[in-house]
Amino acid sequence: MERREFIRTLLMLSAAAFLPWNGLIGAAEGAAAADLAVCRGAPPEKATRAAVEALGGMRRFVGPGDVVVVKPNIGWDRAPEFGANTHPRVVAEVVRLCREAGAKRVRVMDNPVADPQRCYRHSGIAEAAARAGGEVVFMEERRFREVRLSGLGLRSWPVYRDVLEADKVINLPVAKTHGSSVLTLGMKNWMGAAGGWRGRMHLRLHESIVDLALLIRPALVVLDATRIMVANGPQGGALGDVRRLDTVVAGTDQVAVDAFAAALFGLRPQDVPYIALAQQAGLGRMELKGRVRHLSL
Amino acid sequence: MREERTGTRASGGAKGSSLSRFRPYCQLFFLLLFLYLFLGTAGGGADETARSVKVFLDLDPLLQGTAALAARSLPSDPSVLAALGVVVAVTVLLGRVFCGWVCPFGTLHDAVGSLRKGGGGRGRPSLFRVKYLILVFFVFAALFGLQTASFLDPLSLLTRSLTLAVWPAFVFGAERSLDLIHAASLEGTADLVGRALRGSILPLRQPLFSQALAVGLLLFLLLALNVVLERRFWCRYLCPLGALLGLLGRWSVARRDVAKGCDECRRCERGCPGGAAVGREGAWKGEECVLCLGCDDLCPKNAVSFGFSRPRSPALDLGRRRVLTSALAGAAAAALVRVETPAASVGGGALRPPGSLPEGAFLKTCLRCGACMKVCPTGGLQPAFLEKGVEGLWTPILVPRVGHCEYHCTLCGQVCSTGAIRRLSRGEKASFTIGLAVIDTNRCLPYAHDLPCLVCEEVCPTSPKAVTLVRETGGRRPPRPRVESSRCVGCGICEAKCPVEGRAAVNVLPGPGPAA
Repeated sequence: MERREFIRTLLMLSAAAFLPWNGLIGAAEGAAAADLAVCRGAPPEKATRAAVEALGGMRRFVGPGDVVVVKPNIGWDRAPEFGANTHPRVVAEVVRLCREAGAKRVRVMDNPVADPQRCYRHSGIAEAAARAGGEVVFMEERRFREVRLSGLGLRSWPVYRDVLEADKVINLPVAKTHGSSVLTLGMKNWMGAAGGWRGRMHLRLHESIVDLALLIRPALVVLDATRIMVANGPQGGALGDVRRLDTVVAGTDQVAVDAFAAALFGLRPQDVPYIALAQQAGLGRMELKGRVRHLSL
Repeated sequence: MREERTGTRASGGAKGSSLSRFRPYCQLFFLLLFLYLFLGTAGGGADETARSVKVFLDLDPLLQGTAALAARSLPSDPSVLAALGVVVAVTVLLGRVFCGWVCPFGTLHDAVGSLRKGGGGRGRPSLFRVKYLILVFFVFAALFGLQTASFLDPLSLLTRSLTLAVWPAFVFGAERSLDLIHAASLEGTADLVGRALRGSILPLRQPLFSQALAVGLLLFLLLALNVVLERRFWCRYLCPLGALLGLLGRWSVARRDVAKGCDECRRCERGCPGGAAVGREGAWKGEECVLCLGCDDLCPKNAVSFGFSRPRSPALDLGRRRVLTSALAGAAAAALVRVETPAASVGGGALRPPGSLPEGAFLKTCLRCGACMKVCPTGGLQPAFLEKGVEGLWTPILVPRVGHCEYHCTLCGQVCSTGAIRRLSRGEKASFTIGLAVIDTNRCLPYAHDLPCLVCEEVCPTSPKAVTLVRETGGRRPPRPRVESSRCVGCGICEAKCPVEGRAAVNVLPGPGPAA
């Protein structure tokens, strides 16, 4: 490479890395772009929007004409206030943001543990997401594809095709405790994109979670901590187990989002084995210093 | 029969007054209504069913009557009383209108019978008694506390066959067709259709039932009789509900009259779907007539007519000895079933749906219609074979390995016509206990193999959880699940999701735990 050309490229790159960020974020936070935004405040729609805006807005992640799969946690037949599923208003806002960014289709889906129809309905997500312009779909048996993972825990596993083939995937987990995995956060949410006999993943649960997170790699993670379930997870069922935090976390690094969320429960990231494993696997970094942009409404 | 009818029209002229041309439409209407209600017997995620096939079971005097007789308690559900009232009143007044105009099973027989070539088939005049003798058997068995009518009642039989065999087979066919479209690189089309129908017409899960083959085969054979032997063979000779309605309608005011012009050509006799028209007026069997009014159409002399007249009781000769034998057989069957060792005491470990009456009363009132199995969102409700004794055949049992009992779901109690499964409120359901989960420590992964697994704890829906973790202090063994018997409701989701191959390492045994 010519010296002149090298300098020119360097200049262009730094301009590209610097200028748009300033413009988009609207605030300078040093040279490194924030890849994690945390917004505290209510209502959930505003917090969600603000957190995504702080990362540069949905247009950074979703382009015009994109087919987007939004994957909330709709695992259980529980009403929104119990915190067992992603808050329907967070889901609806993310769908709306995708539509505003020009997404052609926004498909909302999960592979629940309890009866899917009851989960979709009583979580409030089916109605909220549909009204926001999303297509709420049930997973079809024939659309699971056996994927060779050769991973830490899984050799191969059926994964939902729409998730694999979408232009953009957005992970929309809720934060709560979990008997087997300590906490269920973002990466754990990918078990809802898997088919098959999922109970059998539990033999190497943390490794399997990392395998799925390595495979799916969302464009964006929006973690719902508007309320978190601190006991009797992942299903809960008592309002006494739910703490209101009015917090929404948005990020592009799956490991960082989960590491931040672990702190909401008073845990260190390494207390949750899959977070540490994911960092080891090179999926992202648990270290949050200088990466988090805090906002409040 | 059809050719004959056209022939008649050509020679005898049109019969403008005949109501009979509306009969197929009326039958079709009720068949479609039945199917509409049947398909609507599903939760679709809601707490309440929008509609239910229950209505057709409600109006059945044979089912309701024998259940009431066996259980010694009259139906209390106002919708059952209303529906029964309508059917009994219409039958007493007009005769077996239900059989000819309403019964969806009768309509299916007519439909299949139309495939038969060369007329309705030779009549078997002496066989008509069989259905009355079956009825007598059922009534006497019920008198002695054994409810058997539900095995052969047409509405129960049809609902059960649709639930366990026809509907699952239809879904299977539809899914395989979608697979084919998918495979023919028309994925877009298959996906579009799949998405559009999923959750409405196509269920989320392929329904699977034990005994689907046997139940389906029985339906097929009964329908095949229309073609192999004669049209409406079932209705004429076997149907116990038809027999009951025939008896109820003996004194009806709708009568068939044959005027002077009759030259005994016997066309009406050959074309009669009930075997009721036997030549001249005096030989008309009111109990066998399904009021199709077809003989009015068939008569080339226009001598047959239907009208209202003072009821007379025609002779119904069933044979005293035959009736007595049937009655005794019914009583003996009840006695023999009662002296079987109860299934529960020989380790019959099957779970009943939540809200079920105590076993004895349940067996007497369950109509074996399968509506609860149709509506069960997980497919866990299955027809019993011998798990609950001979008497328990086709009654619902929860088989958690097939599907668990959804914690907040109360649908089975909503579609049960007799209240064999009581309707539970949401609050009642949450603590309603049908069994107790027991961990098999010889198979459980953490206990037997020191492998980490807490699926049962994760999926346990009670709050606080009935399956808890026991951590060994300071040890390196994985935490183990433990069942708090006072909290376990026996929903079986732990058994359903247990990752141990084959028989689960946690099993739900019927009855409440020791703490209850």
